Amino acid sequence: MGNMSKLLNRPLKAFAIYSLLVLGCSIPVYYLIVDYIWRHELDEYNKIVSRRIESGLNKLELNDAEWSKTISLWNQTQPGTTLEKASIIKPDSIYDVTRRYTGNSDEELERYRGLSSYIRVKGKPYHLNVEINVEETHETVLAIAAVTFVFFIILLAGLVILNQKISIKVWKPFHTTLEKLKSFDLNSDKNIDFEKSGIEEFEELNGVLRQLVEKNINVFRQQKEFTENASHELQTPLAVLKSKIDLLIQNENLTQEQSELVESLNIPISRVSRINKNLLLLAKIENRQFSEDENIDISEMLNQNIGFLEEHLTAKNNVVYTQILQNIFLIANRSLVEILIVNLLLNAIRHNPENGVIRIGLTENILTISNTGDIPLDSEMLFKRFITSSNNTPSSGLGLAIVKEICGKYGWQIKYFFADNFHHFSIQF
Amino acid sequence: MKILIIEDEKELAGNIAAYLSEENYLCEFAETFQQAIDKIGAYSYDCILLDLMLPGGDGLKILEELKQQNKQEGVIIISAKDSLTDKITGLQIGADDYLAKPFHLSELAARIYSVIRRKQFANSNVIRLKELQIDLLAKTVFVNQDQVLLTKKEFDLLLLFIGNKNRVLSKSALAEHLSGDIADMLDNHDFVYAHIKNMKKKLIDAGYQNYLKTVYGTGYKWEI
Repeated sequence: MGNMSKLLNRPLKAFAIYSLLVLGCSIPVYYLIVDYIWRHELDEYNKIVSRRIESGLNKLELNDAEWSKTISLWNQTQPGTTLEKASIIKPDSIYDVTRRYTGNSDEELERYRGLSSYIRVKGKPYHLNVEINVEETHETVLAIAAVTFVFFIILLAGLVILNQKISIKVWKPFHTTLEKLKSFDLNSDKNIDFEKSGIEEFEELNGVLRQLVEKNINVFRQQKEFTENASHELQTPLAVLKSKIDLLIQNENLTQEQSELVESLNIPISRVSRINKNLLLLAKIENRQFSEDENIDISEMLNQNIGFLEEHLTAKNNVVYTQILQNIFLIANRSLVEILIVNLLLNAIRHNPENGVIRIGLTENILTISNTGDIPLDSEMLFKRFITSSNNTPSSGLGLAIVKEICGKYGWQIKYFFADNFHHFSIQF
Repeated sequence: MKILIIEDEKELAGNIAAYLSEENYLCEFAETFQQAIDKIGAYSYDCILLDLMLPGGDGLKILEELKQQNKQEGVIIISAKDSLTDKITGLQIGADDYLAKPFHLSELAARIYSVIRRKQFANSNVIRLKELQIDLLAKTVFVNQDQVLLTKKEFDLLLLFIGNKNRVLSKSALAEHLSGDIADMLDNHDFVYAHIKNMKKKLIDAGYQNYLKTVYGTGYKWEI
């Protein structure tokens, strides 16, 4: 589970990476465009400046001495332009140059855009250089990158917030469905009532789930019905078998050995019949056919059953200790509580060794029945169906499963633990 | 004594009839709901054994029909359904007893015996067998006018033997009779011996001749 991410976070991650890529790629593109426009504009500007200088100089009425003085003065006072005599007129050219403008080495290198043009002043050719400072490449790139990054952050924040909002809204029907599935009880025999979501995919999902649940309920119902019917159907042939044995032992020609053989058939028949009855009982508990709850004096019921089973409890030279608090009441189905008590008592009787001890205790909310034992039993397997912990005593393997089922029905806690050479079975009501 | 066995499983009905025939019971059969309705309308019986699941209808309807016709027959329901609800409904409608399948024939015979006795001797139900005298209502036992104090289980055993005279009763049948539903959950049926031994001793001490014979390997027989 640790590696799992929510469904909507996956596209979010992809969206974020994609945005980062696109915005990242846009930085050089922006730079190239800005740079191109800028150079173009600067070249225009240089050209205009150059024309203006040309027409300005042509308007001046100066003699040669004055003229050369003016040129040298010009070159000293007009930064970004140089003017010098040329021998011939050449076509204009554009150039880039990087230099420290003042020649001071402390100054940073600056980039300049220049226009070298040849002009005629009073018929004489002159070479005019016009230069203008261009913004540094890394400065432009940095500025664009910073802006792009800010926008990326805004985009990402927007995506996360939108994702959360959409997630809550869009997945609401999904979570409703999930909650209903979690609380679904196959035993209840009722299909899930899914809410209408108005979203096609979820409607389809709910539809499929509804069918699936319906199928499961039917299969489960059939399985329970099968158990019930099979149990009933088996009782009649068992009754035939049992009655035949009863008739057979009346035969006076049977030898003692034959009689013993025939009589011994009664034991497995009783066992099959018991398994049958218990399966039926389990099916009925699962089917919630024991619904009439009443107020039961469990102390009295426990005492009655101990009395009823007394000779069996004290068989095998067992000692029985009881510590039963009187007047403990419980609201439950009488038959089921009786079955629970009898099954636990019989379990203790069956598995107690010779000269063992059986302890029966009832406090306000805990019933404990313990019997002597030497090794702890596997508490995981103990309450499962058809698991018998001992192989020397045949049983239906369902007694404790029934106890657990009854406890489960009423939400009682059943616990097995081994302590001081005793198997303890305790039920907390 | 006429008994109607309403049961769709022929084998079982036949076995019941075979077991009961030695006790001077005359058995008739009905395998379907309609046959049963026809027979109870035309004849009267001392006891009716009624299976609840019948081809053609619910056995409980037959019980209602009997009630409507004001018939006095004793009815014992023999059903594969061992459900408390069915038991209560059956007894409420007017059945006298309810026996879940599978059962021992001796148990059924004892119940038939007791149902018929109850119907015939409603007020003074006393069985006299040689020197033995059993009052079913007061649940007392006398041997030659001397009361014998039997425990409830010993008394129950005695009734089972009386209802199955000259028949071999298996240990398993005796155990089931004594401990009812839980007999099949008990590992050994030795507790049966203790009760029989005690009952026998009390009766013999009171001067009763020993009619109870041990059938080796199988169980006991009340020979009279």
